[in-house]
Amino acid sequence: MQHRTRRGATALLSTTVLVALAACSSGGSGSGSGDGGADAAACEPSEGSVELSFTSWIPGIETAVDAWNAENPDIQVTVQTGPNGNGGTYQNFFNQLKAGNAPDLGQIEYDALPNFRVQDGLADLSACADVVAAQDQFVDWTWGQVTLGDESSVWALPQDSGPMAMFYRADLFEANGIPIPTTWDEYAAAAEQVRAAGGYITNFSTADVNQLAGFVWQADGQWFSNDADGWDVTLTSDESEKVADYWQGLLDDDLVSTVPAWTTEWDNAYNTGQAWTWVSAVWGANSIASGAPDTAGKWAVAPMPQWEAGDTAAGNWGGSSTAVFKGSDHLYEATKFALWLNTSEEALTILNEEANIYPATKDGLSLPVLQEGVEFYGGQAIYDVFAEASGQVSPDFVWGPTMTQVYNDVSDGLKLAATGQGTVPDALAAAQTKTVDALKAQSIPVQE
Amino acid sequence: MTTATTARPAAPPAPGRPQRHRSRRYGRAITFFVAPFGVLFLAFYLVPIGYAVWQSMLTVERDGTFGAARTVFGGFTQYQQVFQHTEFWESIGRVLLFGVVQVPVMLGLALVFALLLDSPLVKGKKFFRLAYFVPYAVPGVIAAIMWGFLYSPQLSPFTALTANVPVLGADLVLWAIANVVTWVYVGYNMLIIYSALLAIPSEVYEAAVLDGASQTRIARSIKIPMVMPAISLTAIFSIIGTLQLLAEPQVFRSFSSAVTSTFTPNMTVFTTSAVPNTSLAAAFSVVLALATFVLSFGFLKFSQRREAR
Repeated sequence: MQHRTRRGATALLSTTVLVALAACSSGGSGSGSGDGGADAAACEPSEGSVELSFTSWIPGIETAVDAWNAENPDIQVTVQTGPNGNGGTYQNFFNQLKAGNAPDLGQIEYDALPNFRVQDGLADLSACADVVAAQDQFVDWTWGQVTLGDESSVWALPQDSGPMAMFYRADLFEANGIPIPTTWDEYAAAAEQVRAAGGYITNFSTADVNQLAGFVWQADGQWFSNDADGWDVTLTSDESEKVADYWQGLLDDDLVSTVPAWTTEWDNAYNTGQAWTWVSAVWGANSIASGAPDTAGKWAVAPMPQWEAGDTAAGNWGGSSTAVFKGSDHLYEATKFALWLNTSEEALTILNEEANIYPATKDGLSLPVLQEGVEFYGGQAIYDVFAEASGQVSPDFVWGPTMTQVYNDVSDGLKLAATGQGTVPDALAAAQTKTVDALKAQSIPVQE
Repeated sequence: MTTATTARPAAPPAPGRPQRHRSRRYGRAITFFVAPFGVLFLAFYLVPIGYAVWQSMLTVERDGTFGAARTVFGGFTQYQQVFQHTEFWESIGRVLLFGVVQVPVMLGLALVFALLLDSPLVKGKKFFRLAYFVPYAVPGVIAAIMWGFLYSPQLSPFTALTANVPVLGADLVLWAIANVVTWVYVGYNMLIIYSALLAIPSEVYEAAVLDGASQTRIARSIKIPMVMPAISLTAIFSIIGTLQLLAEPQVFRSFSSAVTSTFTPNMTVFTTSAVPNTSLAAAFSVVLALATFVLSFGFLKFSQRREAR
């Protein structure tokens, strides 16, 4: 009996180890997938009817796809939904690319496009005349996000954007006689008054590194740049440091709360009036409305605070594109669908109704639904503020080729800052080193 | 367990039949019974392991800013990275510390519960057996979310405590997670030990009672020594589970500002593969598997030697 138990244990033990190993090794492929050339193909219509696969995480995307399928019997699109990009879909895309079974089209946020390009996963859409001709329809800076700094190629079509502004509790500011901040200095001053009144001016999120990137973007800073010779990592650039020092100052003085973002607790902080402002993207309008339903009618939107009084600069947080994966046999049809999805009034209206998608096209910004007052915001026509901000976003911000890693590393550092074991500038400095290492590990040329 | 069971028919031939004939017939039977397991074992264990080892030997080369990647054989370069990766070794240290404290506490509780259930003095055994085991029926992720809310400084039903003690802070979060893991697995381990207790022949107890042994004495001198193999087994499972901690801390990332993306070794693997740097992630996995192997077998040998003595 004793002996058998032990032998059983050994057998079980070894299988458990094996399962673990197997679980860890799924995904990835032995040989490089960079065969290039062959599919840098022409953008020609295929014969007969075509079936396209499309992966996205926009809630209600099916409605738009159904509308397309009804009108285009020869180009039928099957849509698959999943978790958001960094939540798992990018990982799936990378695995699918390695395994050679990626969908024809996929939703990719701007910040992840360089990563997919470096992994050689994207088809160049500039072969399609329609795509090149569509450039003028898109807001200028969003086009910069999909060409990756090289005007001769197009790696995806812009879908939506996330120009930033300041959501604030109009009622609380007014009741306490605190002026609405228009500069970051005023914002810090207001933070003290808000704290004295028992609240926090905002919650500092350790998870939303792309919000921090949006602040740096507004300050005209860069985290990355590249030229023909390779990449330059500048997480510790002067502008970046300025932003980091600013938020560290608010943290030091206990003027911002550090509730983990996107949790029930975070919703609660906004719902109960503990947090008074949120400098966030246009899609944040929905997050507050759904997370803090008790505060309906008490919010308003103002432009982002500026570094210098009188400036008009806005940051951007988020925004997706529709890319065609390398290996798709139907580049022509895929771009046709992607153009319809991201430029037609029909599709943009559906996407806005279903998921509050804020279009990346110039015409899209004047969709009828985006002109109306929003009840949750006391009837303010809040999208006017965002449309203005959209025009103030710098077109030059460059994302690095390993943003998932950068986000993880900066976020780890911000967590230390939030728990008092480090600082925001420390977080950027540590992430700078780790990012250079990560690029080197991938043999991506990088300046030190 | 499966290997041990399926291998058994091959054991001693029944007496009185021609040896050679039997072994050939058995040979076919063995193949027949082993094949389904063997094929799955090959396809889902051995091949992926080999693949992981192969992946861990590769590196990426490319030219230019957006140059396409070429995968080339790199020998042990990834392993060099692994040994220089401070976060990875910190995470190993963290789970070892976790294991040194959590495993004895959990197994101690499991043993106490099993002994209580086995004691003739306790009433309502069926109820308690189920009650202890129920947490194991809660999926690990759900359990972590549930405890995450219980720990939350603002939303917990025990805010008087959680608002003042930073359970989710840097100093305590590891033990907050240990509590979740203990809560889930005590019942499971208890059941293994309890079933070993049930297998002890009643003559032994009768003899002990005749000798005038009390229930505590029986527990100490008979039950515990006789279930030692079962305790070793649960200890090995727990050591493996500890090194591979993933679900609970991953869930706690969204509740706590103190759980980083490299909090446990498996989280480091997960984070690295998301870069995507599959080769380095594979190398981490291989090293982690070897470490698990060494630790579990080390423990097994250690406990065997102690038993033999």
